[in-house]
Amino acid sequence: MSIDSDDEILQDFLVEAGEILELLSEQLVELENSPQDQELLNTIFRGFHTVKGGAGFLQLNALVDCCHVAENVFDILRNGQRSVTPELMDVVLRSLDTVNEMFDSVRAGNEPEPADAALIADLSRFSKPESADEAPADSEAISEAPAATEEAPATPAAASDQGDITDDEFEGLLDALEEPDASEAAPATEATPAAEAPAATAADGGSDEITEDEFEALLDQLHGSGKGPGTQAGVTDSDAVSPPQPVDEPIAAEAEVPVAPAPAPAPETSGNISESEFEDLLDKLHGKGKGPTDKLDDTADVTPDAAPAPVAAAPTPAAKQAPPPAPKAPAPKAAPPAGGPKKADAPVPTAEATVRVDTKRLDDIMNMVGELVLVRNRLVRLGLKSTDESMAKAVANLDVVTGDLQTSVMKTRMQPIKKVFGRFPRVVRDLARNLKKEVTLELKGEDTDLDKNLVEALADPLVHLVRNSVDHGIEQPEDRVASGKSKNGTVVLSAEQEGDHILLSIYDDGKGMDPKALQRIAVEKGVMDQDAAERLSDSESFNLIFAPGFSTKTEISEVSGRGVGMDVVKTKINQLNGTIHIESEIGKGTKIQIKVPLTLAIMPTLMVMLAQQAFAFPLVSVNEIFHLDLTKTNVVDGQEVVVVREKAIPLFHLKRWLVSDNPVTSAGQETDPANVKEGHVVVVSVGTQRVGFVVDQLVGQEEVVIKPLGKMLQGTPGMAGATITGDGRIALILDVPSMLNHYASKVNLAA
Amino acid sequence: MKILVVDDFSTMRRIIKNLLRDLGFTNTSEADDGNTALPMLQSGNFDFLVTDWNMPGMTGIELLKHVREDERLKDLPVLMVTAEAKRDQIVAAAQAGVNGYVIKPFTAAVLKEKIEKIFERAG
Repeated sequence: MSIDSDDEILQDFLVEAGEILELLSEQLVELENSPQDQELLNTIFRGFHTVKGGAGFLQLNALVDCCHVAENVFDILRNGQRSVTPELMDVVLRSLDTVNEMFDSVRAGNEPEPADAALIADLSRFSKPESADEAPADSEAISEAPAATEEAPATPAAASDQGDITDDEFEGLLDALEEPDASEAAPATEATPAAEAPAATAADGGSDEITEDEFEALLDQLHGSGKGPGTQAGVTDSDAVSPPQPVDEPIAAEAEVPVAPAPAPAPETSGNISESEFEDLLDKLHGKGKGPTDKLDDTADVTPDAAPAPVAAAPTPAAKQAPPPAPKAPAPKAAPPAGGPKKADAPVPTAEATVRVDTKRLDDIMNMVGELVLVRNRLVRLGLKSTDESMAKAVANLDVVTGDLQTSVMKTRMQPIKKVFGRFPRVVRDLARNLKKEVTLELKGEDTDLDKNLVEALADPLVHLVRNSVDHGIEQPEDRVASGKSKNGTVVLSAEQEGDHILLSIYDDGKGMDPKALQRIAVEKGVMDQDAAERLSDSESFNLIFAPGFSTKTEISEVSGRGVGMDVVKTKINQLNGTIHIESEIGKGTKIQIKVPLTLAIMPTLMVMLAQQAFAFPLVSVNEIFHLDLTKTNVVDGQEVVVVREKAIPLFHLKRWLVSDNPVTSAGQETDPANVKEGHVVVVSVGTQRVGFVVDQLVGQEEVVIKPLGKMLQGTPGMAGATITGDGRIALILDVPSMLNHYASKVNLAA
Repeated sequence: MKILVVDDFSTMRRIIKNLLRDLGFTNTSEADDGNTALPMLQSGNFDFLVTDWNMPGMTGIELLKHVREDERLKDLPVLMVTAEAKRDQIVAAAQAGVNGYVIKPFTAAVLKEKIEKIFERAG
């Protein structure tokens, strides 16, 4: 079983089927809310069906098996023979999880583990009509029956017995038998060569995989009776399915009745059709033997309305090689000549509407566009200085084209946030069921597009926040009723584009957060001292939940984790140059808003100068800038602070950290930091805090393309990357949290 | 020979196209369901249609029926790809005018055989 053969197709399959699985997870949850939705049932059925089909070609048999039973469950559901219950949904969702696990292992290059037998058993139980539940004894009895049939396949009586159960029941049955019995049955029947073909066909009906043996048997059937590879095959042919036998008469005679009376038992009982039966069917439908008789003289004696018997007889001597009733032609006869198959036309490359592109390639393109943008910026800057009009025109043109190019390239990397949102119905559903809460999830703005990398990066933080809303926010149904709310809690997850940002919000109508309680916990956990805690505003108190080591749950809940989460969420959002903001009202609910830039590749920054060097602050974190008389600072706890609107903000001199001690004096400016009388302060928010940085000069706002630092410099604390400014200089982009960590770690920021 | 492969699952289309290519049929086009396939068939001079059964939009059997109703397409050979050989399904397909069926998963050899058989019949 080679996983790596057809690797490209396998990768395609993983991607495409992966999308189907994501949809399935959504659809399954939706189904629970509208269990009668026929269209939805069909879609889910088709989802499993499609994954199964693809997996079959790739020989991912574990996957095929699991999808197959799941598919059967939905076949029963959509036929109305069973209704959706929470138990059924649990099992089905579990099967989806299993399938997802298998996908993961295939992705990792391993053969997927077969699904848990208990799960398959559960699924098979649900893949029988509801009536089967009520009479378990009955179904036992039925399951005995096919075994009997297989032992005595040639007995027409057995076949007619089977007429009592429906095809579906039988299908389900075969599935149930599939695991142990099929293998038992096979050796048993092998003893009698005559039985082989029917057994194979029967097994065929049960599973959609054709094993080599079964397949061989099928092929044997296809070759005319005398031509079979072995004696066995010869027997099989004549006994079971081969048309040359008069046995076929009844079938042929009854074109309208698919399940023909007895003689060829096995294929009929399975509800499946065999090759030769199909051939016969075609004959009947398209006029027996009628057709291009001139081309096939040897059988020209067959008259259009010939009785089935002669038709069947004819091939016996003549068409031994050919698949049984070769001479008869169906209606579609105007098609290409029989010699056609090998005669391929000149290869004409056909256009496809979509192309799958490796994201690596997109990243490369994005990177190159970034370079181009930098050059553009530079040229624009130079163009401004130039007096040459045609030059200015050309530069302006380049400016526009580059901008368009950049936008288009960015668009190729855009994905709807639906990709992340899609997993939430399932998350909320499982969680609510787990916690015995009633929660409705509303999704808004699923079609909002954002950069692929962002979509992926946002997934985990969002899952965490949504879990929190359900776990901590929404109350138990009885509590909700007691406080006069509807029993059913609501969590709204929405996304919208706001200029060059995406605004994501998670809103719940739960119990809200109590700022006082948060402060108390913060003190208990030693996150900050009593005084500091009391001074916090409500909004700052809410932000406490992002402090490391802060968890309001006293016991560890398996659901929302152990308090390692929220600070990680915050860090992650910050890494994406995003911000997070909480609003909450006790008894009403909580709203968490996340703002992230549309793309990670281009970042608006605030350019500043330290001595002669340019640095860039990510603009999202910049709160305000002001001019400061540096003599008017205070020192609290050994930390220099500046009071802004009655709030003390720690102040740091960036130059002391980032520029070497003896900088070049420029323009007669006194550069010894200690003696600088005035400076510009950039106030940035870091986590829940705000800090001020003293810089020499403010240059202004500039959109920069982030270039990673070279290998040697990678991981330099405080640096997120570098860029080339419009005037051709290199500017380092600051990573404020990491910079503070490195340089000011001893300073208690909470102070 | 110009072949149209219809399946809603693009991986499957690729698999089938690859199998066809292995058999020497390189002139293939794709459609993702009956609704897109039909106009292509009507304007595309296709010699052979390979279609999946189970598709959203227009299913394979509906496509087949439309093909048979169309004066220009009624003789187009059609191979139906299906996951199981359910008797009633296959009978229905045959009655709707299908020329052959093949059960997933299949190999190039099986496909070849199916195709040969179809064209043998077609004369």
